[in-house]
Amino acid sequence: MKTKEVTIVSGKGGTGKTSITAALAALSPLGIVLCDADVDAPDLEILLHPEPEGDFPFMGMQTAGVDTDRCTGCGKCEDVCRFGAIKVTGGKARVDKTFCEGCSACALVCPVKCIAMEDTRQGTWFRGMTEHGPMVHARLNPGGENSGMLVQLVRKVAKEVAESSGAKMILTDGPPGIACPAISAITGADAALIVTEPTMSGRHDMLRIADLCRRFGTSAAVVLNKADLSSEGSRKIEEACRENGLPLLASIPFILDVVHAVSQARIPSKELATHLEPIWRYLQGM
Amino acid sequence: MSDRSLTVAIASGKGGTGKSCVAASLMVSIPGLLAADADVEEPNLSILLGAEPYASSLVETPWPVIDSGKCDRCGECVRACRFGALYMFGKAFPSPNDLCHGCGVCSMVCPRDAISETGRPVGEIRLCRAGEMTLFEGRLKVGMPNPIPVINATLDAALAEGRDLVIDCPPGTSCPMVAAVREADMVVLVTEPTPFGIADLDLALQVITDLKKPSVVVVNRADLGGSNIDALAEKYGTRVAARLPFSRGVAESYARGKPPASVDDQWKEAMIAIWETAKKTAGR
Repeated sequence: MKTKEVTIVSGKGGTGKTSITAALAALSPLGIVLCDADVDAPDLEILLHPEPEGDFPFMGMQTAGVDTDRCTGCGKCEDVCRFGAIKVTGGKARVDKTFCEGCSACALVCPVKCIAMEDTRQGTWFRGMTEHGPMVHARLNPGGENSGMLVQLVRKVAKEVAESSGAKMILTDGPPGIACPAISAITGADAALIVTEPTMSGRHDMLRIADLCRRFGTSAAVVLNKADLSSEGSRKIEEACRENGLPLLASIPFILDVVHAVSQARIPSKELATHLEPIWRYLQGM
Repeated sequence: MSDRSLTVAIASGKGGTGKSCVAASLMVSIPGLLAADADVEEPNLSILLGAEPYASSLVETPWPVIDSGKCDRCGECVRACRFGALYMFGKAFPSPNDLCHGCGVCSMVCPRDAISETGRPVGEIRLCRAGEMTLFEGRLKVGMPNPIPVINATLDAALAEGRDLVIDCPPGTSCPMVAAVREADMVVLVTEPTPFGIADLDLALQVITDLKKPSVVVVNRADLGGSNIDALAEKYGTRVAARLPFSRGVAESYARGKPPASVDDQWKEAMIAIWETAKKTAGR
């Protein structure tokens, strides 16, 4: 059997992606590899406590660098930059690396050729071993760019690890939102699990990430978390799932012991075991 | 300085800590504020404010158009594009894809002047209203990878009003969050006292410190977890401005789309205190 990958997403943050990913890992009937693709708030390691096996620099896109000795301060670079990332201050061009997208327009237009594209470290990625299988995770530098590229990188490494170790499934903890890191996390995955909550915001955001999955050809199913916090909200999620052809795999109540387990950096697997059974049945049937 | 309008951004590293709850609660606790929802991937503030859209405008980014009458398929544009956004399949003319950042490099390098630009819609700004309250809501079009142009356009439109402004930011600590807080006089970081909340608050504080923005921390669901957030805040020279306990009443009203301050006085008092702090911080 080919290695399958399931990405856990939510659109809205804080619905319980990471707790559920960790509990799925601890309750797995198969050999798995864990992948944390939420590279700007990577929390899976807090529950999984990986034994480090190596860390590696992530370079991302090259960004512009100015040789200030040769810069004449003409400002052509500032005029051509569409991202507000290069400005002439004190007679010299200066790059704000946070906003530089690495397009190289400034380097192309510079009349004295004092701008070069240079490697910029944007983060770090890690390999580790947990009680429940190998883990690949990463951390984007705070304020960093190219989170989508880093997501692609950790997923690629996780796949290689799974293939060499014979693991049957990769569990990828995805980022919130629907833009580049979320797109990078679901593209090519065998399935997406959307973790939502019975709120109006949860429903709104679930429908946007479900739409994204459809556009990128990833089949999606829903896990409703904290279901008993609103019976009306839960009913609306059930309705939205039916209307949009999204299988609702599980409705998990709000369990205070889950919060306590997470607060002690412990996987809430005991607390969630019965609720996650149907999810594993679904994943094994893929 | 004293008559300049005040801009306060509500951010967090971790998602789901209560950013939109704080933003909406500020709106209902302090009269006369303008709101901007810069969480353009998943904009939820209109839900909590019960605000209905009454006008909208498209956000467009430049998009290359290749003139097949002029293009000789030399491939310069494909080689110059650093995003892999232009492809030439076989003998076809180059064509752009979703990876395009709208940087303009392809038209700069084209030796035959065959590339012009048109606008491509990547999202919209919705002007929403609830009673006396006005909200500028940015919405990224589903499928578009880059939220930054929509965030910038939404903030530019809201800032142009010249009024006291509350910005609901996207989660995380990467470029969308940085773009959303860029104009803020003060940043309110909302967290929860769990290991996740702490780890992500640490990252968010690094960004805010690098940007040299004054900040305060709000601890939401403060009784659900024992982590010491004061020590972390102190490390970055900031402080905890409010601690709000978990309440089923607040959670249930949120589920129905009502801001906490409309049902809970503790929230309302906290919002008034935070706004006073912001005024002092900005020297008003």
